[in-house]
Amino acid sequence: MDALTLSIRVAVLATAVNALVGVPLAYVLARRRFTGKALLDLAVTLPLVLPPTVTGYYLIVLLGRRGWLGAPLYAATGWTIAFTWYAAVVAATVMALPLLVRTARAAIESVDRDLEKAAYTLGRSEWRTALEVTLPLARNGILAGLVLAFARALGEFGATLMLAGNIPGKTATVPLAIYTAVQTGEQSTVIALVAILTVLSCVVLVIAGRLGARAA
Amino acid sequence: MSARLDVRLVKRLPGFTLDVAWSAGDGVAVLFGPSGAGKTLTLQCLAGLLRADEGRIVVDGRVLFDADARGALVDVPPQARRVGYVFQGYALFPHLSVADNVGFGLRDLPAARRADKTAQVLARLGLAEHADRLPRELSGGQRQRVALGRALAIDPALLLLDEPLSALDAPLRRALRDELRQLLSDLGTAAVLVTHDFTEAYRLGDRIVVYDAGRVVQSAPRSELLWQPASDSVARIMGIRNVLRGTVVKATPDRIQIRWRGQLLEAVNSPSRSYLPAADTPIAFFIRPEYVRLIRKDRGSADPTHHMNLMDGVVVGEEDFGTTWSLRIRLSVPGAPAQGEYDLEVEVPHLVYEILEIERDRRWQFSIHRGSIHVLPA
Repeated sequence: MDALTLSIRVAVLATAVNALVGVPLAYVLARRRFTGKALLDLAVTLPLVLPPTVTGYYLIVLLGRRGWLGAPLYAATGWTIAFTWYAAVVAATVMALPLLVRTARAAIESVDRDLEKAAYTLGRSEWRTALEVTLPLARNGILAGLVLAFARALGEFGATLMLAGNIPGKTATVPLAIYTAVQTGEQSTVIALVAILTVLSCVVLVIAGRLGARAA
Repeated sequence: MSARLDVRLVKRLPGFTLDVAWSAGDGVAVLFGPSGAGKTLTLQCLAGLLRADEGRIVVDGRVLFDADARGALVDVPPQARRVGYVFQGYALFPHLSVADNVGFGLRDLPAARRADKTAQVLARLGLAEHADRLPRELSGGQRQRVALGRALAIDPALLLLDEPLSALDAPLRRALRDELRQLLSDLGTAAVLVTHDFTEAYRLGDRIVVYDAGRVVQSAPRSELLWQPASDSVARIMGIRNVLRGTVVKATPDRIQIRWRGQLLEAVNSPSRSYLPAADTPIAFFIRPEYVRLIRKDRGSADPTHHMNLMDGVVVGEEDFGTTWSLRIRLSVPGAPAQGEYDLEVEVPHLVYEILEIERDRRWQFSIHRGSIHVLPA
């Protein structure tokens, strides 16, 4: 079952990138004031409300072979991310990011600022304070955000289709495989994949719910 | 006497400007005033958590902050100020044990010395047996001590305490107030404490700096403040009752005669700085409600040579405060009463209220010793 291994690999990688990029982003949005903050917030959140195909189109404009970043990359290396499984990771990452950032940001904002101020007066830099005080106290919210991001990455369809295509065994994740199977009438494959995604999503929701309850 | 702490701060915020200057010597300086007067803002500037627009902060000769209108010349970051801060509500790290909270500021020490120092602070504050507990497992009083211990562990040059007792219930509050006073005087660390409760300010402070609307209205040793508030607005902020206005009849270095509500009152002039206003100038003064004496009717008529500032009045209102009754008395003279419905608030213990049968008998003579009428210089 190529689609399932691919899907899990994509979702795990997308979640890892989310943790690396999304948690610092959530911290900065929660705690810092800077020019362009509203714009950054908008850019991160937009994939949550845009049709996924529109987000996918923007990703093509940015990363495609003739895209703003993709064209120089292609000129330099002759390689393009479009229609590779990396593209599926990028699409899933971008689509999942708002879920993590919003959840983690709310968790960080709920940490009493006096705790951070206390850490500063006790000699901690902002960076050490974030690592030792803020993030540990926001941990459950951040984990809940990561679980949601994983679920979103697992189910990604529209943006993936736009940037990575639907190449069986290469970029066809479970949701895309389901679509293909429905089109070609492979009933048993459809039922198996749908069941797997449903069960996985339920598990993820229960975990996220428990973490969320503990964070509150 | 050189000041240990010199503070001058200007901080402009939307709709509020803090503009204060004061200094303090040894002991505890209390910033006292109503909520929103800028007390906590001052602490945050002292700790470096907030940057003032202009000003200068000097602690024991060390300049922590110095800025003029063009910008900061010196601005030591909070990490390097060595200022211990006890937050309102304590701000203990909820995920760390009592020992880790107290040792949090000692990260740069080698592990063994850190453990020693932590144990020493815990022992001193009577927290040794709670070292492994989490803050949520402690009582309010214990949390306060952990917060204090955490701030003291770094051997601060200056200790800041923001409403350190406000998170506690009333009986505990009184006990801990005296405990805190003892501790602060044993430590000898320069300390600044914020409170909006005058009793607390008076019990804990050596010097009291009165804040109102972003300004300092008076800064004085506590005893001076209690008996000589700089103005009637300071008296009101302090919660002093019976702040009254009359006119000067005659002032000498040791006595002031005041006309008020058709009465001629005699008061003692300020002992330390005699105040000699001209006749007919308006003057504010206050009479503490617990210092007004009711004259017993079963001992013959009152003797004006013995009973100073003798007046007649009627009880027009009363309120039970548990151990005392507060009586509202209106003078038996024509004209509008000084404080709305009444002229004077008088406080009597329950026992006196019962013995004199004040509930039944509303018409009284009373007298005020001249030493109990406190003149407030304009």
